[in-house]
This record gives sequence, structure tokens and C-alpha cells, in this order.
Amino acid sequence: MTSTTVVASKAPELRRSVTPWGSFSWGYSDVGADIFVGLGLVLAAAAGASNVAFLFAGLVYVCIGLAYTELAATYPVAGGGQYFVMRGLGDFFGFVAGWAVLLDFTIDVTLFAWTCVDYLSQLIPVFVGSTHPWTHFTVVLLLIVGLAVLNIIGVRESTNFNGFVSGLDVVSELSILMLGFLFAFSPHILVSNMTHHWPTTYQLMLGISYAIISFVGLESISQAAEETQRPASIIPRTSIALILTILIFALAYSHLALGMRPWHPIFDDHGHPMQFWQIFPNNGDNQGKAVALLAAQIPYFGAIAALYVPILGAVLLLISSNSGVFGSSRIAYAMSSNDLLPSIFKRVHPKFRTPVISIVTFCSIAVLELVFAALPSLFPGARQTYAWLFRGESGLDFLADLYAFGAATSYSFVFLALIALRMKDPFSPRKFKIPLNVPMTYRDEKIEFPIVGVVGFIGIFAILIFTLLTHPIGRVAGPLWVVTGIVLYFFYRRHRGLPVFKSQTHDWRTAQVQILKHAGELELMDECIANNKAADERRAAREAVTK
Amino acid sequence: MIAFRYALAALMVVLGFTIIVRMLAMGLHFEELTGLVLGGAMIGLGLHRISLLRRIGEKR
Repeated sequence: MTSTTVVASKAPELRRSVTPWGSFSWGYSDVGADIFVGLGLVLAAAAGASNVAFLFAGLVYVCIGLAYTELAATYPVAGGGQYFVMRGLGDFFGFVAGWAVLLDFTIDVTLFAWTCVDYLSQLIPVFVGSTHPWTHFTVVLLLIVGLAVLNIIGVRESTNFNGFVSGLDVVSELSILMLGFLFAFSPHILVSNMTHHWPTTYQLMLGISYAIISFVGLESISQAAEETQRPASIIPRTSIALILTILIFALAYSHLALGMRPWHPIFDDHGHPMQFWQIFPNNGDNQGKAVALLAAQIPYFGAIAALYVPILGAVLLLISSNSGVFGSSRIAYAMSSNDLLPSIFKRVHPKFRTPVISIVTFCSIAVLELVFAALPSLFPGARQTYAWLFRGESGLDFLADLYAFGAATSYSFVFLALIALRMKDPFSPRKFKIPLNVPMTYRDEKIEFPIVGVVGFIGIFAILIFTLLTHPIGRVAGPLWVVTGIVLYFFYRRHRGLPVFKSQTHDWRTAQVQILKHAGELELMDECIANNKAADERRAAREAVTK
Repeated sequence: MIAFRYALAALMVVLGFTIIVRMLAMGLHFEELTGLVLGGAMIGLGLHRISLLRRIGEKR
């Protein structure tokens, strides 16, 4: 059987032009937008323990981030989690991980377009979903179709534009947090909320499973690796800054929201004063624009923030939605190149040179998800059915359910791939290695077993279980997506005469040398060749002794 | 530009200290723990950024 690695193909290669700031802003424009979506959902679910939910998910996210950093710096190819899992665990699991990532990307398109409109509704009341459901639906639909068209004709936001928006957002978020903690934060209110509004275990699990969606998008680290100059050196540096920045923002926002003394007092329908976080439960409109609402409650600064934060949030969310369109077509292209998906997904448009079939297919799935999410608000009859079947989950909840499921599934496989690759491929040089390793011997070779990989796997697997336990739609639709994919994969591989559960023969050694050469990491390439040669000599010596 | 980045990193350290001091004033219970983690992470990131900026400055 022939070798089928991506690098062996003579497809056009990506230009390596992304700088350290470009690499950071690429990741930030993807992951940084998540808190704009996640904050309201977590506050609604976990109430007084929202910060604890973010802390739990955040610690798991740090482990995930470190795993992605090591893997992306060692194997700097586009494809991300799907590629690492295929390399570590084989074709079948590579497909399952890639299929879960594809689910996340399609949800990403819809969820971020949806919340983009929610943020705009802060300034344009006719976009409010609960009062103008058809307008909200139509605008989200137009955004998705528009992004699909832009991607088909090959228009992408530039790295410079990403860098500008990311820089503006970092400064803006830091200003919100600084002024918020200085003038609107009361530790007494925080402790009081944590003491008197501590959620039930079920609510806390729900909150944690929503909190993980504030940290989704690490695929972008590995996507950027393919186009970064000297990725093995640059990726670890930018990734760690990215991981810490996102973690701090998520923790800071949840603390501020729980301990906030609002600039303008908030009252419920009966005229009783409310805490700031209490505007989120059972209010899908507020959940979709939490950061804008929080910024507007900071004394004095809130008057300006109320005008620009919704716009900045909407732009960042639209970039993130676009990364879903672009990312899904790229992952599908990579999977198709590795015979995990039919070759139709790597077919490019003769004029625009873009993967048009992939873009149309996955944007169509995103539109279907939008229709399913919007049905309860569009048709009162559907609302009753949803209430009966899914405990009345809102459209935003439905999208977040699937997002959490896809992320938890793909990240679980990435941890297993990290452990497997440390054992099976100790020869590829790792310029960045996750700390806390146990030296041991595996198949007569010295390896370092990653403790963080095990801890991270336990954490993300727990979040996957929380998602299945607490999300009525996610626990049905998520596994259904995976099973549908496996059935399609089964028929495709049978049709092609390829093994279904076993892997094709891959020449990973040659592939690795080519990857490092292509990345310009020539010292690492030499080290890799020397390691392989030394391993061959040791093996030959052992075989000679045995004979 | 580098002065601006220094200022942002320094502000993050100051904010981290502010949060830790304000949370510690409440006592040392479970409820304050997450605030202390947040303050510590802010100080960590701020110092990490300052050390990176110093290295960039030395190279120049």
C-alpha cells in the first residue's frame, strides 16, 4: 500500500508569513471571542459559582492549550487535532476527532453569527431575538450566506486586520476589567453571591460544560503553525501568552459579574433590586450580549462602553464565525487528502481556487443548525414541542450544547494522541515539552510519560460526561452526529477498498522530516534524522543479540 | 509602542495585586480562593510579558 501523507502530495503549499504577533492575534481572534458568548450562558447556569465553573474549565483548558502547543510545535501542519489523533491513534480515531471538530466548526459559524446579531441588538433594537425573531433569524442567515460567498470567492480577512481587531479588543477588555475592578467591584457582593446563590450540583455541571465553550478554538494554534515562520520556536511563545490571556479574561469577567455594584440599579418586574448576574437566567437576549451589558454598568466609562463594546464584540464574533467557515473547509480538505473523507471535499473551484464543495456543504449544515435553533422562537407550536422534548432549551442553548459536545469529544482524543505520540514517536524533536513527565521505557526506548496529559484527559472527559448529563439536545444530537459520520466513513472506506478500523500504511518518519524541512526548522530536521538513525542502530543491535 | 506594552503589562500586575489585597481583606475562605487565583494569574502574566519585553529591548 502506498504512503498517503499530506506532505507527500504536490498540492500548492501555504506561504509562511505569519509573525509572532500575527500568530497570537490569529488565535486571539478565534478564542478571544468565546467569552462574549460563554459569559452569559455560564452566569445563567451556574449563578453564584460561575467563577468556580470558569476556574475548573480554565484549568482543563490550560492542559489542553499546553497539549496543543507541544503538538503544534512538534508537528506544524494544518489539520490540527484531526492530524495529531490520526498520527497517534490511527485513521479511524483520526476521523472521529476530525468529524467532532467539523461539528464544532459548523456550530461555530452559526453560534457566532447568532451572538454577533445579539451584540448588535444592543444598539439596534429591531435585532432583538425575542421581540423580532424573524428579523434576527434573517440577519443571521444573511451573515452565514455572506461569509460562505466571501470564502468561495476567496476573500479573507487579512492577518493585519486580525491583528488590529485583536489589539483593540485586548486594550478594550483590559480597560473594562481595570475600571470595573477599581470602581464597580465589591468583594463583599462577590462573597455574598457565592454564599447565598451557590447552585445545585446539576447546575454547576451545566455551568462547567458551558464554561468550556469560552475556551474553544485552540485548533487555530495548529492552523497558524502551518503558516508561521519557525513554528517550533514561535508557537510555544505565543501560545502561552494566548492561553494565559484568555484564562485571565474569563476568570476576571466572571468575578466582576458576580461582585459587581451596577452603575444604574437593576430592578425585577416587581420593583425589587437585583444583582447584575440575575439578569441572565431565563433571558436568552441578555445571555447573548453579556460583555456589552457588563461594560455598560461600569461607572462613567459605561456611557462610552455601551456604544463601542457591542460593535467591537460583533466584529470579533463575525471574525470568529468566519474562522468556522474557513476552518471547516480546511479540515475537510485535510481529511479528504488523508482518505478519511471523499475526494470531492478537496475539489477546488476552477476560477477562485477555493474548496467550494466543502464550503457549501458545511455552511448548509450551519444553516440547518440555525433553523433548528430558531424554530422555537419563530413558531409557537414548535416551542411547545421543544419544551416537551428538550425542557424548553433556547436556540442559543441548543447551539452551545453541540459546541460543548464537539469540543469535549475532540479534546479528549487530542490528550490520548499526546500520550500515544510520546510513546510511539519519541524521536521527533520537541522544542516545547509539557512539564511534569515521568521517564520510563517503552518498547526498549526511553520515553517521557506526560502526567498533564492524564490530568487533562480526566478533566475534559469529566466535562464530556457533564455535557451528556445536563444537555438534553446535546446528548442526543452530538452522539447522533458522530454515529452518522462513522456510518458514512464505513461506506466510504469500503467503497474505496480501504481498511475501516485499521490504518493505511503511513511513512511518518519521512513525513516528519519533510514537515520540518518545509517549516524551515532545519536544525530540528537534522536532529530528527539523527534520532531516527540512532534508533535504527539500537534496534539492529538488539536484533543481532537476539539472533 | 514598546512603552505602551510595558504599561499594559505593569497595569496587569498592579490589578492582580489590587485583587489579591482586596480579597485577602475579606479573610481566607473558599469564596476568596478563586479571586486569589485570578490575582496570581494576572501578576504571572504581567511579569511574563515584562520579561519578554525586556528580552526584546536587550536584543535591540
